[in-house]
Amino acid sequence: MDTVIKAFGLVFQFDVMIAIVASAFYGLTVGALPGLSATMATALLVPVTFYLSPIAAVATIITASAMAIFSGDIPGCLLRIPGTPASAAYTDEAYAMTRKGQAETALGICLWFSALGGIAGTLSLMLIAPLLAEMALSFSTYENFWLAMLGLMCSTLVARSSPIKAIAAMLLGLLITCIGIDNPGGVARFTFGSTDLLGGIEPIPALVGVFALAEVMRALTEREPPKIENRKLGSILKGQWELTKQYPKQQTRGNIVGIIIGVLPGAGADMAAWVSYAMAKRFSKTPEKFGTGHPEGLIEAGASNNASLASGWVPALLFGIPGDTITAIAIGVLYMKGLNPGPTLFTTQAESMYALYIIFILGNIIMIPFGIVMIRLASRVVGAPRSAVMPVIMVFCAVGAFATAGNNLFAVWCVAFFGLFGYAMEKNGYPVAAMVLGIVMGTMVEQSFVTSLIKSDGSVLPFFDRPVSSVLAAMTFAALLWPVFTWTRDWLKGRRVVAA
Amino acid sequence: MQLSDRITGSALAVLGASAFLYGSKLPPVPGQQVGPSAFPMVVGAGLVLCGGLIIFGIGRHFEEVAEADVVAHATAEELAPLPAWRNWLALLPPALLAFYALASETLGFLPSAAIMVLVASLAFGAKPKLAVPLAIIAPFVINLIFLKLLRVPLPGGLLPFPW
Amino acid sequence: MNTVINRRGVLKGAAAGAVTLIAAPAIAQATWPSRPLTMICPWGAGGGTDATARIVAQLLEKDLGQPVNVVNRTGGSGVVGHSAIATAAPDGYNIGMLTVEIAMMHHQGLTDLTPASYVPLALMNEDPPGVQVSASGPYKDIKALAEAIKAAPPGKLKASGTGQGGIWHLALIGWLVAMGLKPDHVAWVPSNGAAPAMQDLAAGGLDMVTCSVPEGRAMIDAGKAKSIAIMATERNPQFKDVPTLNETLGLHYSVGAWRGIGAPKGLPAEIAAKLTAALKKAYDSKDYKDFMNSRGFGMKFADGPGFGTFMAESDKSMASAMKAAGLAKG
Repeated sequence: MDTVIKAFGLVFQFDVMIAIVASAFYGLTVGALPGLSATMATALLVPVTFYLSPIAAVATIITASAMAIFSGDIPGCLLRIPGTPASAAYTDEAYAMTRKGQAETALGICLWFSALGGIAGTLSLMLIAPLLAEMALSFSTYENFWLAMLGLMCSTLVARSSPIKAIAAMLLGLLITCIGIDNPGGVARFTFGSTDLLGGIEPIPALVGVFALAEVMRALTEREPPKIENRKLGSILKGQWELTKQYPKQQTRGNIVGIIIGVLPGAGADMAAWVSYAMAKRFSKTPEKFGTGHPEGLIEAGASNNASLASGWVPALLFGIPGDTITAIAIGVLYMKGLNPGPTLFTTQAESMYALYIIFILGNIIMIPFGIVMIRLASRVVGAPRSAVMPVIMVFCAVGAFATAGNNLFAVWCVAFFGLFGYAMEKNGYPVAAMVLGIVMGTMVEQSFVTSLIKSDGSVLPFFDRPVSSVLAAMTFAALLWPVFTWTRDWLKGRRVVAA
Repeated sequence: MQLSDRITGSALAVLGASAFLYGSKLPPVPGQQVGPSAFPMVVGAGLVLCGGLIIFGIGRHFEEVAEADVVAHATAEELAPLPAWRNWLALLPPALLAFYALASETLGFLPSAAIMVLVASLAFGAKPKLAVPLAIIAPFVINLIFLKLLRVPLPGGLLPFPW
Repeated sequence: MNTVINRRGVLKGAAAGAVTLIAAPAIAQATWPSRPLTMICPWGAGGGTDATARIVAQLLEKDLGQPVNVVNRTGGSGVVGHSAIATAAPDGYNIGMLTVEIAMMHHQGLTDLTPASYVPLALMNEDPPGVQVSASGPYKDIKALAEAIKAAPPGKLKASGTGQGGIWHLALIGWLVAMGLKPDHVAWVPSNGAAPAMQDLAAGGLDMVTCSVPEGRAMIDAGKAKSIAIMATERNPQFKDVPTLNETLGLHYSVGAWRGIGAPKGLPAEIAAKLTAALKKAYDSKDYKDFMNSRGFGMKFADGPGFGTFMAESDKSMASAMKAAGLAKG
């Protein structure tokens, strides 16, 4: 108990409070700008942390990253321009709600269930960290391979299009990840002698191109949609409370899936959102409503997204293994501030650990009021004239990608190319979100497959006979065969009706 | 831009086949059972298969359901056909980005972004009263955000940011 | 009439502006630095190279009185970033972090750039590879591991730590060759950096990881792995208990991953001298020492010409290691 009181003493300091509030604003702003990622927001904070006390330094990283991840949903929802690969999973759903005049509800869901998810993830970090850590360590490349395959299966579920076209789009994404030399063999592929192509195609310029730029292109060829009346929705939170009571199962499942995927290195928040959205659809009583502005999938994906962000700190704090790029940066800050990751951190520096927990909870709580202000401000963009918003978005597409790629103009060319490509895909019924999923997961699929075979001397047996990998393999095959099964069942049922 | 499934399907199949061929020519890596050629070949084969299925219209009925749904939810004005030249306007944003990629190093961020905003805003049908002030203010604010908040230097060119 | 005058005034103003713009570079030359500097880091945010770049930038900023912005130009195992440093304007406002890969990539035919394509400014750090094994595994020290490697059939044991042909892969090859074995006697499992490799080591998927000791530190602290040797000439004061190969196996083999600061060719000599002086000051500062010690990174300094010779030597030894491994082209 003494440690807990000491921990509160560490957190409730003037400098820590200032750091939390300032980084909250910073994270919300950077995350909401199209083309800028949460990773970038975190990376740019590192020089600032040099001057802060250890607790304040870690507080800025925790708060800014959580805020930026939530805030990345805002342009996705309002303009169909997802801020992160994670929010690409449910952008169409959220945008459909905006089209129905429910922008504030959709953003409220992202906010409320993100905050709850973040708190659930923190609780898992506090209560079962050693257990989760053991689980993370039981994952080898064989398990990672099946996990990546399961992730790819989600591509057919998140789009309301032909499953064949969704798979084709996903394969295009995989093909794009082949470009460059960052493959297990270290061999240059599809580079055609260009240094820039040697580096491969990063997900962010592709994401910005197929979503943001293509949206500007579409807007130019379409009539301005009739103004959505700015309905006063009353309290954003009141609606959320009702949704929490209505969908408790989706929320819990999202939290659990998020926590599990979060602790697995290499997967992270991006994958959690996709898997949870797909699960919500598969187990929904009304899957046909998905994609038309239905809150169910948003709830589950939002709950999962931020839960994974918090549980991603488990392997980071215990073993110094980053779950994603954000925790990779956080680990660096921890070392710099003498909070060296490792189990001893939990024993010798227990009050610092408790202080971290308190900051996590605090960050997720203040996310709600701050987020509401941000939603109110951002919702006005929907009311602004299209001829003012779209050109500015276009400039952000160019500069955001340019900055994320380390001031490389090649990224601007990428955005232009993917804008054209995404526009053409969308017009012809190919879901661009599935391609983004392919780009995000491609490297993991190839890397885990090739390295697994090296380790097993070419035998495929360990893909099936290790306990965890056998379960994951069964799940993958079930996901693959399920559509065939339902189709056959429906066909048989149809015959029976005819016979009767 | 709307093409028949036969054309897009064939394009995918051709792309897949070329990826397969390109992949098959990659050298093996000593010590790796599965070399760098396997992944492009598997993906290429998958694309050929998908392209083939799309050409034969398999899975098409899912799209018809979704399209009918869009029509049901849209208003009459949104569906009214637009003049054909409007479709060509879609090429403007990529063209402006290409302009940025070519010109920003020499012109600098502020002038090139101002030109982009001005042209795009006018294309959206804005009056000069809105487009001109927007083209002056927006690049300035964006530069401020990147330079001060994110500490990303943007190209200075002819007209560097004043501070 | 009025409007004409006004327009003329505007024109005059514009002309005056143009003159200042043309004159600006000349003034900048005289009072360098007069605007922010950019430091290109060829590796991603969060890694050790990025952290080092950011602390150096921070300290340079204090000394030079101008912001030093770090930009991460990543991808292609460092090729993209290194080529961006080489092709940047040599005006003293573009510098970059050079890493050991610049001495390796051109042997593989990935780029034409070599260490000689830059103006070397200062060497800031060098980390030797360590040999890490699982804490619960059968190898209690480096002798036991060396015996096991010699006894095992080729390809039976697995090692990892970085991508195929990366610096830690070469470290392993160098060690194997020094023991009189074939370079592929231990199979290399490419990984996406040291952290995933350390995780796979703890998960039981690998026999050893040859990354630097600080990269494996958290797993070692967690009691999941242990470091049994470093491939350096002397022990690292940060990790006193880890012996060198020389004192345990009698092998004189050492190698290292280094990081330094360089600039594009054509940098005026007086600016280079100023930068080297500022970097020396940064290296000697308490902040830098504290930071490097907190991360466990090794410190090694060389001034411009010294860094140049150092890189040339590194290039030579990498060439022979890569030829031995069959990784070099031509």
